[in-house]
Amino acid sequence: MTVALARRRSAATEATLRYVPVLVAATVFALPLAWVVVTSLKKQSEFGSSLLPATPQLANYELALSLLDFMKFATNSLVLSSSYALIVVMVSALVGYGFARHRAPGRGRLFMLVLATLMVPSLVLFVPQFVIFAKLGLTNTYWPWILWALGGSPFAIFLFRQFFATFPRELDDAAEVDGAGPLRIFFQIYLPNSGPALAASAIFMFLWVWGDYLYPILLLSEDNTTLAVRMSTAYVDPRGNPLQTVTMAGVVLYVLPLIAFFAAANRFIVRGIVTTGLKG
Amino acid sequence: MTGATRALERPMPRIAPWRRRGLRRAITFYVLISPWLIGFVLLAAIPLVMAFVMSLSNYDGLNLEYVRLVGLENYVRAFSDPDAQHALGRTLLLMAVVVPLSLTLQLALALMVNQSIRFTSLFRTIFYLPYVIPVVAAAWVWKIFVDPTGGLLNALLGVAGAEVNVRWLVEYPMVVLASLTIWGAAGGGMVVFLAGLQGIPAEYREAAMIDGANRLQVTRHITLPLLSPVIFFNLVTGIIATLQILVQPMLLAPGILGLSPGTVPPSDNYLYAVHAYLEIFVKQLFGYGSALLWLLFAVVLALTLVLFKTSRRWVFYGIEP
Repeated sequence: MTVALARRRSAATEATLRYVPVLVAATVFALPLAWVVVTSLKKQSEFGSSLLPATPQLANYELALSLLDFMKFATNSLVLSSSYALIVVMVSALVGYGFARHRAPGRGRLFMLVLATLMVPSLVLFVPQFVIFAKLGLTNTYWPWILWALGGSPFAIFLFRQFFATFPRELDDAAEVDGAGPLRIFFQIYLPNSGPALAASAIFMFLWVWGDYLYPILLLSEDNTTLAVRMSTAYVDPRGNPLQTVTMAGVVLYVLPLIAFFAAANRFIVRGIVTTGLKG
Repeated sequence: MTGATRALERPMPRIAPWRRRGLRRAITFYVLISPWLIGFVLLAAIPLVMAFVMSLSNYDGLNLEYVRLVGLENYVRAFSDPDAQHALGRTLLLMAVVVPLSLTLQLALALMVNQSIRFTSLFRTIFYLPYVIPVVAAAWVWKIFVDPTGGLLNALLGVAGAEVNVRWLVEYPMVVLASLTIWGAAGGGMVVFLAGLQGIPAEYREAAMIDGANRLQVTRHITLPLLSPVIFFNLVTGIIATLQILVQPMLLAPGILGLSPGTVPPSDNYLYAVHAYLEIFVKQLFGYGSALLWLLFAVVLALTLVLFKTSRRWVFYGIEP
């Protein structure tokens, strides 16, 4: 009986050990976000004076949508992020397939070059690029992002190379015997079998542009800039004082689509990272 | 089928088709990677050369007439620029605080959500969320969270009986910056650790358990060594990312919610990349700023090389499933 008791007690400690740390960590992680939602439901006059809103109200959300042309800038962000993500993922997958499946002199060294570019601080490259874009009259357009996308992303190329290297070579051989060229093999065999890797990298590439602040502020103008940049100056009262409660409503509107997206794709992302073998 | 018969009809010299096939393969390879190769030349190689030449010049971003090469003047100047030294010091301090804490937290989170507990996917989502939140939004989240009057942090400290009017962004800006960075990066690192953990065959742990090892011993002697490549990956990427932090300190500057291109963060958060950015895009010192950035690149490279050297001692690539 003592044994049973001890076992039961150890089961209880076991459960505590498992759940308490993870619950504490989750609370700490979620608190700042929960506070955003709480603040967004307050009246501006309640900000700083009362902890919780007396009557939760959605007026801030209406203001967040109307103090700037929210839909217009959201569309800007959406167009820019998705065209970048679409192009860069396709190009990177193609290049990754080349590195994974086609032998040629210099391949190893070129691949080292792909990895080396990952280490170059992005500003080092951006400053001269900025000068080039300005000279070519490409500032205030989305062309810089399209050009970046057309060159592929070193990170995504690396991911796809690792991913495609796990495909059985027999597939290629069989297709080749049937007379399929490398492009057809890529589009009909490799791409259709890369769901998780495509989804994971597309989401990251989309997110990079959607969340980026620096490049739009330096390259675009008030009118065609992204939502993040426009939002950062829009939520003030006529005297220029910040409206924290409206800003928090804006944050929710800005982030919510991403959260929904990620919650849906959660499984995909982990699997994408597992299968692409980041361990190298 | 047609390919096979055609090959049989031909006379068969021994080496030539091999070579021809090799050549064709090589051409295919270069065609396939050509988008990257062209992009690399136009968007990386040429800009790098430009950036280097710029760093040896007095280019101001506008007038090409007055441009002249000034040799290593910009580099010499960087070593006697008190702002640059202050900024480098703050950046290294931030790195020394953030990287170890981040790695420990990420590993702990991965171990937690890798247990057989309920709601794992909910927990994973909560830990991953901040990683998904764009930097502008994340900076706002923390600004409001630590707001002296409207923030939850002071309210919670007030409940605990501490001083309640801490102006975090003014008095402890680096604490907020470090928290924001650790909070924001945790999910990304956690997922990579999780992938690593799931790559460790369960039999290893079970075998050790059967031999009488407790959970701590299993973690220390089985899990950690097998995870060391992943730890190394997260360490290197963490260091490279921390050294380049730029937007966050500017967005966390107290007072304003937005960011004008010339926002200067408080001295504690005046990081190296911020200094380079301000010199280039506000003071228009493209030449000097480029030199600062090359020095940053040199620091990144040096640290990475040192890490790769030491990695031989503690990273185990031995067991591949």
